[in-house]
Amino acid sequence: MLKPQASGSCNLAACLPPIKGFLETSFIDWPGKLCAILFVGGCNFRCPFCHNHPLVLAPEGMATIAFAEIMSRLAARRNWLAGVCISGGEPTLSPGLPTMIARLKAEGWAVKLDTNGTRPEVLAQLLDDNLLDMVAMDVKTVLVQEKYERCAGCRVDLGAIRQSMDLLSHSGIPHEFRMTIAPTLHTEEDVVAWAKQFDRVRSRLTLQNFNPKTTLDVLFEKEQGFAPEIFSRLADMVAGKDTGQI
Amino acid sequence: MGVVMPLNAETAQARTHQVVNEDSTDIALFVRSSQDDMLGWNRQRIVDALLRETFIDRGTAEKISKDIELTIQAGKVKTITGPLIREMVNAKLLEMGLEEARRMHTRLGVPLYDVDQLLVQHNKENANVPHGPEATNLTLAEGIKKEYALLSVFTPDVADAHLSGDLHLHDLGFIDRPYCSGQSLEYIKKFGLNLPHALSMAKPAKHAEVLLAHMVKFAASLQSHFAGAIGWDAINLFYAPYLEELDDNGVKQLAQMMIYEFSQQAVARGGQAIFSDVNIYWEVPKHFEDVPAIGPGGEYTGKTYREYEKQAQRFAWALFEVYKEGDAAGRPFFFPKPLVHITEKFFKTDGHMDFLHHICEVASVKGNTYFVFDRGDTAKISECCRLSFKLEASDIEDAKQPWKMRYSALQNVTINLPRLAFKAQGDDTKLFALLTEKIQLAAKAHGQKKKFIERLMSLGKGGPLSLLAMDLDGEPYLKLHRCSYLIGMVGLNELIRVHLGQELHDSDASIKFGLKVIAHMNIVCNKLAESMGMKFVLEQTPAESTSFRFAKLDLAHFNAEAEKVVQGNREKGEVYYSNSTLFNVGATMSPIARVEKEGLFHPLIEAGSITHIWLGEAQPDKAALASFVINVFKYTQNDQIAFSPEFTACLECGKTSRGLSETCPYCESKNVDGITRITGYFTKISSWNKGKLGELHDRYRNIDRFNN
Repeated sequence: MLKPQASGSCNLAACLPPIKGFLETSFIDWPGKLCAILFVGGCNFRCPFCHNHPLVLAPEGMATIAFAEIMSRLAARRNWLAGVCISGGEPTLSPGLPTMIARLKAEGWAVKLDTNGTRPEVLAQLLDDNLLDMVAMDVKTVLVQEKYERCAGCRVDLGAIRQSMDLLSHSGIPHEFRMTIAPTLHTEEDVVAWAKQFDRVRSRLTLQNFNPKTTLDVLFEKEQGFAPEIFSRLADMVAGKDTGQI
Repeated sequence: MGVVMPLNAETAQARTHQVVNEDSTDIALFVRSSQDDMLGWNRQRIVDALLRETFIDRGTAEKISKDIELTIQAGKVKTITGPLIREMVNAKLLEMGLEEARRMHTRLGVPLYDVDQLLVQHNKENANVPHGPEATNLTLAEGIKKEYALLSVFTPDVADAHLSGDLHLHDLGFIDRPYCSGQSLEYIKKFGLNLPHALSMAKPAKHAEVLLAHMVKFAASLQSHFAGAIGWDAINLFYAPYLEELDDNGVKQLAQMMIYEFSQQAVARGGQAIFSDVNIYWEVPKHFEDVPAIGPGGEYTGKTYREYEKQAQRFAWALFEVYKEGDAAGRPFFFPKPLVHITEKFFKTDGHMDFLHHICEVASVKGNTYFVFDRGDTAKISECCRLSFKLEASDIEDAKQPWKMRYSALQNVTINLPRLAFKAQGDDTKLFALLTEKIQLAAKAHGQKKKFIERLMSLGKGGPLSLLAMDLDGEPYLKLHRCSYLIGMVGLNELIRVHLGQELHDSDASIKFGLKVIAHMNIVCNKLAESMGMKFVLEQTPAESTSFRFAKLDLAHFNAEAEKVVQGNREKGEVYYSNSTLFNVGATMSPIARVEKEGLFHPLIEAGSITHIWLGEAQPDKAALASFVINVFKYTQNDQIAFSPEFTACLECGKTSRGLSETCPYCESKNVDGITRITGYFTKISSWNKGKLGELHDRYRNIDRFNN
């Protein structure tokens, strides 16, 4: 793990997304691949169940890791890593994102982007420029205004979300739509309806169960996830395992 | 200082005067001997014992016996027992300055209080020993054999070094057994189950299931002749000639039977499961390709093992299907531990990627898989927590008759590395001199154990080690002249921290110095091996309780220095040193860095090493794991890795969930047991010693993303 450095005086760093965390090896974030993860500070959502909330609420308080340092750390792991995952926060809010991805791509890295889909224009540009190898988009619930805003903890432009979903569905690159579910926010019917809006042949769908550890909204630490049996039934249904599709 | 090691140190003070029976009105002074006989008082018995057991002269013996008689007559003791008389005689011997005679006249035994504690409370020295009458039998017997070993097998300098914690003589309670054993199934395939003193003998098995029955029983008899692990080489290959008669369901059934048999064997010695390992190959190992295969009835099948690749693969696949399912409650199987060898040939064998994904899925879901890396032309058989035997030219020759392939380490001695640094006070020369001295002492201890086992073995088939003397293939089962003698280490990381002020993960300089220390150990071992004619090899000691014991002893005897470097939680007494050459388990290191850097030490440690990757709750992607495993083989020197997930098993609803939780996520019961790897095997956390609990708390699980 790289220790963030206190100073960010470099000019270049100012125009690159503020990297607040770096995990050198992840076995879980990119299906089938060993990847590194960069965590970009700042988010336009306030999901009450978020575990990365320091990145969301107070990114300025966290030191920024110099991009050059990340690049050299990555270079040392060339043989091992199949790609770099850019997560957050919400990376598409940073104007420097395309530059950063382009620099990663120039070094030969495959790049995965984690996004909440609120900036379809950024996504479209990145896709057009062939800068992405994989995208995971959080689709927080069914596209119903009130429900979505409860999950996101703020006002949401559902049109933008829908546009991002369409973009990815037709992008031709590997992508997944995922949803973190909690009984206080989602009914089982929501989960079923959520899954129905996607084409499983084109898109990979995954669920995550809510985990009441250090959440953005402290009240949520008292809530529970779905019971394990129910969750695994829903997860199998969403992944298409009940219909024989995987 | 007393060389008697109390079974329970805290209660050692509390014993005493239980023998006086206040209510006794019997005027006669009698002796209750150890045979439970009541005998009239006879002074001569003291004289006889002294003359038989020690070297003192008759006159002195007579004088002592008269003195004791006077004491007893003058005293108010109404009931006196043999042990009490013996203690009185010992006190007399001490008074007279006859220390050596006192030592020879010592009585081994256990204080009443300790026995009471033991029968009721759980002994956690080895998490693989459950609590029960068999387990307490084991502990009591071990206690006495341990005292015997320290008094009688080892010289006082060696015994004192053990007791003071300079080094640790492993499995002293098993002083009359070798340490561990690796063997081939071919032995029972060829000779059947034909054990000395058995009530019946069986001809070579004709069917796979019978072979399994023989294997399990043989393993159980081996367990009662060895202290530690019982390993089996290339198990899937050697079963292969029996599998042709079975369809896929039959093979799966056999795999299931094997795993359940070994994992449910907690009924034999000390109620302990047999610490068993099965070595598995996807390919036919090169040294077995042209070996004629033995099949049903112990007959040659007319084919070589090269032709059994597909059958062997079928069995390997089925074994991992069973591991993936886990037991009836979905928990991982604890035994037998599956060790898959990743070799150059593995990557040239058809279907290897599918198999790699299969075993990686098991690693992710249940954690069982051990990945053993045999690079170049190396061939190994692995067992125990990490122990492996590299096959030498003579072994490869034996491979033509695989029943001859059996390997044993006679004993394991571990050196307390941090203590050396306390004493060296920053002086390199002094540090290495002290290290040399301790290795020499460890070698001396090995020589003494060897002599003792030789003495037992010389009694041959009529002696206590008749099983090891059995010579169905013309040689004793235990080939003493080919045994290894293990020298282990605990706390390299803390040695470095004391000596350089940094831990291993802090800088390249500390790694470099660490390598110097281990290389020095290696060189001294080789020199001693040459001069003593014994094979001393370094091993990463599993040190399940030794890392706790050394830390505790150092806190007691080197408090000022030790309290700065012991790991864990001192308030709770959950203290430990880092195992062997492992880096701080809590250091924020990526799994890549850990396998790379810990792997730098592995080539120096011939008898085996391992790097653990703790997974916690995370259930990794099998393809990601597979690519990681391939890279470990290609780009590092790491010998062996295992991924360790954590589970919570509910004792109320019987369900198993991922991660360690205080309550069951299914039924919210608090009656749960955590399960994960302790040092080299899975167990229930409730059976762990305090040091390992401290370590569990500290383990870095690759999730700390923001350094907060």
